[in-house]
Amino acid sequence: MDEERGAPDLSVDLAPNNPRELHLKNPVIAASGCFGYGQEYAGVIDVQRLGAFVSKGITPRPRAGNPMPRLAETPAGMLNAIGLQNPGIRGFARKYPRLWEHWRVPAIVNISAESVEEFADMAAILDEQPGVAGIEVNVSCPNIARGGFCFGWDADMSAEVTRAVRAATTLPVIVKLSPGAVDIVSVARAVEDAGADAISLINTLVGMAIDIRQRRPVLGNLTGGLSGPAIKPVALRMVYQVAGSVRVPVIGIGGIASLADALEFFFAGASAIQIGTAIFVDPSLPLRLIDELADWMAREGARNLGEIVGAAQRSHGGRAPMPTLAEGTGG
Amino acid sequence: MTDASIDVDETGANPAHGPGASREFAGSVVALEPIMGDSVLLTVAAPPQIARETRAGRFFEILCRYEETFDPLLRRPYSAFAADPESGLLQFLVRPYGRGSAWLARRAFGDPLNILGPLGNTYRIASRAQNLLMVAGGVGVAPLVMLANEAVARGCNVVFLLGATTADALLAPQWLPGDVEYVVATDDGSKGRHGFITDLIPEYVRWADQVFACGPEPMYRSLRNVLMPLRVGGRPPVQVSMERAMACGLGACLGCMVETRRGLQTTCVQGPVFDMGDIVW
Ligand SMILES: Cc1cc2nc3c(=O)[nH]c(=O)nc-3n(C[C@H](O)[C@H](O)[C@H](O)COP(=O)(O)OP(=O)(O)OC[C@H]3O[C@@H](n4cnc5c(N)ncnc54)[C@H](O)[C@@H]3O)c2cc1C
Ligand SMILES: Cc1cc2nc3c(=O)[nH]c(=O)nc-3n(C[C@H](O)[C@H](O)[C@H](O)COP(=O)(O)O)c2cc1C
Ligand code: FES
Repeated sequence: MDEERGAPDLSVDLAPNNPRELHLKNPVIAASGCFGYGQEYAGVIDVQRLGAFVSKGITPRPRAGNPMPRLAETPAGMLNAIGLQNPGIRGFARKYPRLWEHWRVPAIVNISAESVEEFADMAAILDEQPGVAGIEVNVSCPNIARGGFCFGWDADMSAEVTRAVRAATTLPVIVKLSPGAVDIVSVARAVEDAGADAISLINTLVGMAIDIRQRRPVLGNLTGGLSGPAIKPVALRMVYQVAGSVRVPVIGIGGIASLADALEFFFAGASAIQIGTAIFVDPSLPLRLIDELADWMAREGARNLGEIVGAAQRSHGGRAPMPTLAEGTGG
Repeated sequence: MTDASIDVDETGANPAHGPGASREFAGSVVALEPIMGDSVLLTVAAPPQIARETRAGRFFEILCRYEETFDPLLRRPYSAFAADPESGLLQFLVRPYGRGSAWLARRAFGDPLNILGPLGNTYRIASRAQNLLMVAGGVGVAPLVMLANEAVARGCNVVFLLGATTADALLAPQWLPGDVEYVVATDDGSKGRHGFITDLIPEYVRWADQVFACGPEPMYRSLRNVLMPLRVGGRPPVQVSMERAMACGLGACLGCMVETRRGLQTTCVQGPVFDMGDIVW
């Protein structure tokens, strides 16, 4: 009896098919672009307690990013058009792996590129770095060889990137899906078949804000990515669909700002969650969620995450996922 | 803007290594009084170490809503107007403008506030500087009032210029230390000099060893226009506090950049105070 009352097991392996594993002590991850390189928050919270964190998106060459303004607040959300400002894979490799090597928290590196070859080259460089626990492949970027059509909108292009990255590294590979995909389930299945160890979703939705006094777009880049509580229902629907269609672990992202939000994603089928925008507002939220989740599981008598992940899927008796016809802007 | 403008070591400086650690803390409203037009002076009780790490130029990101709602979502940055290490009290000057500031200006005694800070860098008085010129526009007075107090305590001479639209929007002189020479200008001529505050600068540039400014960007542009024609030796160095929309306040999101000769820099960690000569206008 006493044993059963012991602290619930929050750990999760996000790469069960990979010998290198991606073992997290808890399922709460800081999302890419919202946590810098980890050290920015080190003075404010105990970063080491997180399940993991994902770095800012890294590209093959340094990028200065988009013109200002890069941020615009929207109802229960925000638009960002940072434009992947980063020091490039080589500048990154000179600095951060060495720093992270001595950290207890797994560091996952988010990568973006405009060609399949460049994705593979970056994965090969990361493969040799100490302190890198895994790679998150951001396919929400334009494929220059295909006229700038976003990799992540298309199942074949997403699979091609995944295969190339898979071949270049033995590190755990997470593929991060774009909500702009024409059919999110077919993209998810394609990247699973191409060797993804896990799938994370969603990235931001493309949006816009206009300054009515100046009669022009608020963002220097004109459009930006919408994130925060406003996108949660969309993210949850996509996580539910994808988790019901693939066997690899799914990481839920999008507007999570409370334990209730996190539970919704676990019940939808997410094995782990990422927190983005809410960290800006409430830096200690991720650590609080770990404690609140443990308390909640203890109260509910759940001994491990496996007992709650996908509960809302099971309640439908394994019914097939919803049709995808009305999806996205291309609907 | 080229790729080469990125210096790897400049990205993501750790605020814990800055002028003092930042943290999230619970403040409590102690007083709210009118000051300068429709602006209010907000006095907040905070853990004592916070005031000790607060210097002129640093700011705080205040959650301007009830925590269980999402509007407005992001924290709002406010410069410290005063920080008393003895009592631990912090003061902010808040001009009701949009939703966040209007919420903040309506707080009452005892209300809790969720605050992150102190954040960013400080104004820097050079060790040999004796005569300091401070140039404020509107609510830009906040960090300069704090700086004027620091400067007087160091034995510096301070001339404090404040510009406002009209007499009602000026700061009453009792908010400044007694030995400061306080000069005002109003757009409508209802008090002090008629015109822009930057018109007064030529009278003081030869006297000043350093200039410190806080106000809207057009004010910085006219400041530059006044100073640029002067020969380099006769032109005092100027520090300005920049305003940008912010999300994290900790150098993580890269949303608040300022383009400088040393590359893109974050307003929240590497700023908000920049050498005017470093900024690419
Ligand atoms: C480092 C720093 C220090 C600051 N210190 C102070 C301070 O001491 N006192 C103070 O009152 N404010 C200060 N501000 C500004 C403050 O953070 C808020 O931007 C301001 O209070 C308006 O927020 P809001 O929520 O009321 O308006 P919002 O609802 O955010 O704004 C409504 C609209 O007005 C626009 N807007 C916002 N501010 C301005 C502006 N100043 N001029 C023109 N348009 C604007 C917004 O883009 C938006 O479209 C500081 C800002 C920074 C970056
Ligand atoms: C300022 C900002 C920068 C981001 N940068 C990246 C990035 O570089 N790579 C990436 O894959 N996602 C990036 N994202 C997307 C987030 O990781 C996340 O998928 C999205 O914001 C939705 O989660 P949220 O609602 O919890 O923020 C960024 C988001 C924000 C707000
Ligand atoms: S506000 Fe995020 S980097 Fe400055």
